Amino acid sequence: MYLIGEFHEKDSAAAAIRLLRAGGITPAELDLFSEEPVELPRGVLDRPSRMSLASVLGAILFGLVATSFIYWSQHDYKLVTGGMPLFSFWATGVITYEMTMLGAIVATFSWFLWESGLIRKRDRNAPVPEVDPGAICLRVRCRAEQSAQAIEWMRRAGAIEIERRGTE
Amino acid sequence: MEHRWGMAIDLDRCTGCEACVVACHAENNLPISSPEQGAKGRTAHWIRIDRYYEGEFPDVKVKYMPVLCQQCDDAPCEPVCPVYATYHNPEGLNVQVYNRCVGTFYCANNCPYTVRYFNWFAPEWPEPLQLQHNPDVAVRMAGVMEKCTFCIQRIKRGKQDAAQDGRPLADGEVQPACVQSCPAEAMVFGDLNDPQSKVSRLAQNGRATRLLEELGTKPKVFYLQKVK
Amino acid sequence: MATASELLPYKQIREDLFRPLSSVSRSYVLVAILALAIGASGFVAWSYQLRRGMGVTGLQRPVYWGVYIVDFVFWIGISHAGTLISAILRLTDAAWRKPITRAAEAITVFALMIGGMFPIIHLGRAWLFYWLIPYPSSRLLWPNFRSPLLWDLTAIMTYVTGSVIYLYLPLIPDMAQLAEHNTPWRRALYRTLSLGWTGSDREWHALERAMKLMAGIILAVAVSVHTVVAWDFAMAVAPMWHSTIFGPYFVVGAIFSGIAALLLAISVLRKVLHLEAYLTRHHFNNLAKLLLLMSLLWLYFTIAENLTVWYGNEPKEMAVFGARTRARYAPYFWIMVLLNFVVPFVLLGIRRLRTIRTATIASVCVVVGMWLERYVIVVPTLANPRLPAASGLYTPTWVEIAITAATFAAMAMLYMIFAKLFPIIAVWEFKPHPQEED
Repeated sequence: MYLIGEFHEKDSAAAAIRLLRAGGITPAELDLFSEEPVELPRGVLDRPSRMSLASVLGAILFGLVATSFIYWSQHDYKLVTGGMPLFSFWATGVITYEMTMLGAIVATFSWFLWESGLIRKRDRNAPVPEVDPGAICLRVRCRAEQSAQAIEWMRRAGAIEIERRGTE
Repeated sequence: MEHRWGMAIDLDRCTGCEACVVACHAENNLPISSPEQGAKGRTAHWIRIDRYYEGEFPDVKVKYMPVLCQQCDDAPCEPVCPVYATYHNPEGLNVQVYNRCVGTFYCANNCPYTVRYFNWFAPEWPEPLQLQHNPDVAVRMAGVMEKCTFCIQRIKRGKQDAAQDGRPLADGEVQPACVQSCPAEAMVFGDLNDPQSKVSRLAQNGRATRLLEELGTKPKVFYLQKVK
Repeated sequence: MATASELLPYKQIREDLFRPLSSVSRSYVLVAILALAIGASGFVAWSYQLRRGMGVTGLQRPVYWGVYIVDFVFWIGISHAGTLISAILRLTDAAWRKPITRAAEAITVFALMIGGMFPIIHLGRAWLFYWLIPYPSSRLLWPNFRSPLLWDLTAIMTYVTGSVIYLYLPLIPDMAQLAEHNTPWRRALYRTLSLGWTGSDREWHALERAMKLMAGIILAVAVSVHTVVAWDFAMAVAPMWHSTIFGPYFVVGAIFSGIAALLLAISVLRKVLHLEAYLTRHHFNNLAKLLLLMSLLWLYFTIAENLTVWYGNEPKEMAVFGARTRARYAPYFWIMVLLNFVVPFVLLGIRRLRTIRTATIASVCVVVGMWLERYVIVVPTLANPRLPAASGLYTPTWVEIAITAATFAAMAMLYMIFAKLFPIIAVWEFKPHPQEED
């Protein structure tokens, strides 16, 4: 089941998260909803990301594919180049570079779609709160027996309103 | 590489009569521009006579220089074509493949000799010139670049004839239209790979220079000129 | 200086910025009709050119590249507005960028769409442009990757892809908001495009991380794109093109004209959409200072380029230099110097004169001046080839002028459509941030 707590202060939301996590709820079960990015202190609700790595790997992949593509096509169609090298590494460096950058762009964008959960909804039935401007909603997924305790933590941290959603 | 075609042009013999230009037009089905288009610089002459004037009027000397595609070994036009419409054929000629050309103009911009010509419109011939088309040469469509081929159709014909008779191609057997029609015999065409050919010997001549040689294009047209 | 975000309540910001989307004024319709008419005349001109051949342009031997290539370089240059303002300022966390980033990013995308048309328009056989794209074709031939035109193709493809994503990413949260209360077709549009954005912290984290990465990538791509455009010229052995300075010279020129275009765009938006509270003197002042800086940098490059040629006194280059500065193209050259350096230097360099109005005037001058700069670079070199006997003259015809005018109309049209579909200022970014209040 899900609990949705509404906060008006960033600090009280952070406090609620600290309490919940101390009580054994993992960051994967917590979601914060807001109309603007909320910056919480480090260690409260970090979302580790591999986006930079994905972008670098995408760049390397596209760069290699582009270079080998050029290499093979130039060797498959051996034209008399009048003294110029058949595989023109430097002269095609721009293409390799642009393809490398395209790889970084494509990888970053795909990773963004994946990591943000926009194309990978973890559970489609999870309730999405309607957030008022300026408010922060904290969604907690927990077992029914935990819920009373979780409500208590959120209230203590300063939740304005707490709602239960979903059965089970 | 069996052959390496080259040309020698003796500028001290050239009279600037433009017979080569006319012969080239007839041989290679070059379109005829109207006077208005000609005034706009839209003429196509695969070989043209550049005129340079020396001295002050009235003591003027005119120098003529037939300029055609120099068939460079390191041709600047080739690497810039995105679609391989211009490329180096195994006999060292810069070949223009009309069907591949999309008309980016880049080759023409990168040609230091400005010997590439564009088909601005669909080609036209005033009556009855359309009846004298050379069947061995394609007529080019609007939107493609073209240039001197060293009369590649004549080279092919010559090689075929020689192969049929089972003999090697003799020096001077193949002549492009311009060379054939030069009344002053200022132009010589032949195989630079054959050290005994007339063009090879002329290329070794002390009077031989190549146009804009300093650019490193390695042209295969030699201009013979008394150096003052 | 107090920024608008501290003064205006959030509700009003949202109303101010979403309001222009819902109404169409009479002048909007008039301008749209005018732009459509100019754009249509451009299409007529282009179809005439396709039907008759390239002879309907003023191109001739030896000036094979003319106004189309000038327009190409010009529009690709304008597209640098978005990348510079948005990416550099985003990377350096400059808070004043917030109301202008989206306007800049939109310019990038549209200018690229327009600029990318020109290599096709100027082809002798434009209908075969796809032969430059590598795909296993019946011609059994791959494109020549050595050709700078292939570099162009890949560079512009990458840049378009990157800048569309770069414009799209920060639009997602705004579109999710717009989807809430709206007419049915708009709701469907925004809901589809916002990909089911809910505003969860995972989404925000991913978005901010992606924007940081994209800012870095797009900056590298933008610099390379204009360098490659410059290399189209510099790789040719033509006098005064074959110059090592061309890459950075073009990048500087591009950023210069890009800032001018952005200043022009925001000053129009400010008036038309009544965004006086959002696009303040502060923004114009900052952008004007950047424009002045780029003007000086541009002057430095122009002097470095021309002085070395003049001092070197090499005959082939001097023929081009003379045509540029003393003969046929001298009016273009000196008007360019006037518009690109003298006017901005006086109007923006003297602090008392630096107002929103003068910044707008200066940017109009720079946009025109940078168009002339490309003309002065492209045409005189081709008109004075290495063999002097082959020289020529070039004057554009009505076909080229109509197509050029149509691209400006297309830019206006695309921008107007964009401003009606999406808020031109990023609403979520503009909200007062807790960390900025102190």
